[in-house]
Amino acid sequence: MPSFLFDRKAKIQPHVQREGVRAMATTPKTDYDVIVVGAGFGGPVAARKCARAGLDTLMLERSDVPGEKVVSGLVIPIYGFLYGPEFIRKGNPPIERPICSVVNRLVKGGRIVKTDRSLRMPRPFTLGYAAYCKPFCTWLADRATKAGAELRTRTAAVDVIMEDGEVVGVVTDRGEELRARVVIDAGGTQNPLAIKAGIRRKYPPEAIELYMLWDYEMPKRDVDEVFGHSMEFFHAYPEEGIGAPLGYGSTFYIFTYRDSIHPGLGQFLVTEGEIPNLAKLIPQYQENFTARVERWKRDIAPRTRLRAVMWDVCPIYAGLIPSAREMPIYTGGMIVTGDAAGFEASAFGDGVPNAWFSAEIAGETAVEAVRAGDASASFLARYEERVRAHPFIIKTISDRRRWDMRELLAGRDEAEFARKVRDHWGIGAFRYGNMGGPVLKASAKALRESPLVALEWIEMFRRYFDNWERNRFDPLSGTRRGLTPVPQARGEA
Amino acid sequence: MAMTYQEFPGVEWVEGAGDYIKVDAEKCSGCANCVRVCLAQCFKIAGKKAVVDNLDRCMECGACWYVCAPDAIRFSWPPGGTGFRTLWG
Repeated sequence: MPSFLFDRKAKIQPHVQREGVRAMATTPKTDYDVIVVGAGFGGPVAARKCARAGLDTLMLERSDVPGEKVVSGLVIPIYGFLYGPEFIRKGNPPIERPICSVVNRLVKGGRIVKTDRSLRMPRPFTLGYAAYCKPFCTWLADRATKAGAELRTRTAAVDVIMEDGEVVGVVTDRGEELRARVVIDAGGTQNPLAIKAGIRRKYPPEAIELYMLWDYEMPKRDVDEVFGHSMEFFHAYPEEGIGAPLGYGSTFYIFTYRDSIHPGLGQFLVTEGEIPNLAKLIPQYQENFTARVERWKRDIAPRTRLRAVMWDVCPIYAGLIPSAREMPIYTGGMIVTGDAAGFEASAFGDGVPNAWFSAEIAGETAVEAVRAGDASASFLARYEERVRAHPFIIKTISDRRRWDMRELLAGRDEAEFARKVRDHWGIGAFRYGNMGGPVLKASAKALRESPLVALEWIEMFRRYFDNWERNRFDPLSGTRRGLTPVPQARGEA
Repeated sequence: MAMTYQEFPGVEWVEGAGDYIKVDAEKCSGCANCVRVCLAQCFKIAGKKAVVDNLDRCMECGACWYVCAPDAIRFSWPPGGTGFRTLWG
């Protein structure tokens, strides 16, 4: 069984495995083919790709355990699993709850005045999977180290080493100089490294949402009864006081986990041209929600106990604001991926699928660069070409539907509000840009190329559900037992 | 050693993080944008300038840095293995 969570230290010693020879490094290595900065959701995917190709690969992670600094109430949309890394689809990642439907509620005077359940799938098919970041990122990092990548935790990359205008390595917070043919930056939204390298600037505040999350324990039978396999959004005009003005933040949502729920909400750092007093507003929205909304007070609150409060920022509108969108995503010797590159889907605010897609492309590009002995900017330009050609990345970061909710602020047209919600977070998600168009197109293409892929998908849906129903993963202890085996039919294991 | 705070359950802060967020008093315009967006109340205004009061409950989000128009805030990561962490993110 893979080790989890609390016994990570056994695994962080450097190890090298190439051409069948296994040796323990006696002094810390300082020279690699590839250095991946960050072991969140994207970093391990890139590192695994490089390590499997036989490259000497190092992952640097500033936290003690991968994922423990990642804050994201998380339902990973299904397109990440279907079109992302095969090893995730064919593995058994620690998921908290299969999410089969999105329930959209319109709130007025604390009451639910309209409910839209149009976006739903019959189980075992899902729209996504809820997960806690720490066990999931740890699972991903384990896959990368098992493939031969080295992981150094408690190590922040604070600067790059430049030679002749190209990145040739990184400097750690202990002053150690580590060299690599290619540096892959998967360092997350704030990303001081790529700024130091002169590739990127800090995002304009208009692109950044500050979001706050609350984790509540709730017995599984209660989550099953109150929510089932759904997650809920609570939409309201600003005078309700339970969320940011429309189009300026994530409406109050409740993500559902195995025996907990994860409500959250957010607001952009610039709202209607001003920098709002978010220190006051965001806690106020939550206080109002829990004090006023009947569904919370009656159905949910009596069965819950607050366990954690957290927040972070994410670049949800980076794809919609030209100064953010036009920043480079590579330079000589360095590739930037995921949130660090602004690849946050703007409609639902999901960053994980694009982190996976871009990390796979980055890994593939790095392998080619090392083999060709050429990590120049002109060689790495193929990374950007592939990102642009990808069926999801550019499409999802430039979706304007959440932004356009602002148009509703001028009037109070409830019918129009309900229609927009349905078009955006309801069944319309399948008709418009974000999920629908690209998902249907990519599915049709995949099925044309190999009709058997349908069986692979169905097998994944069933196995994920089976593992979940039998409670084969415990995030607290990290115990995993009796997981449904993955068929070893074809492709990589 | 790790610190916890009653108002932010489920999160702890490992010591040794140091001054990873700093305000350049010369550049600071005293606009208080940083004060307005910081959910941990890390900043205060003293003598018409923003100063870091303490980073005890900072979750390293960088909101202060993004909203600083004169670019007076310096933001970096705390040393590896220090600062905030959670099991419930």
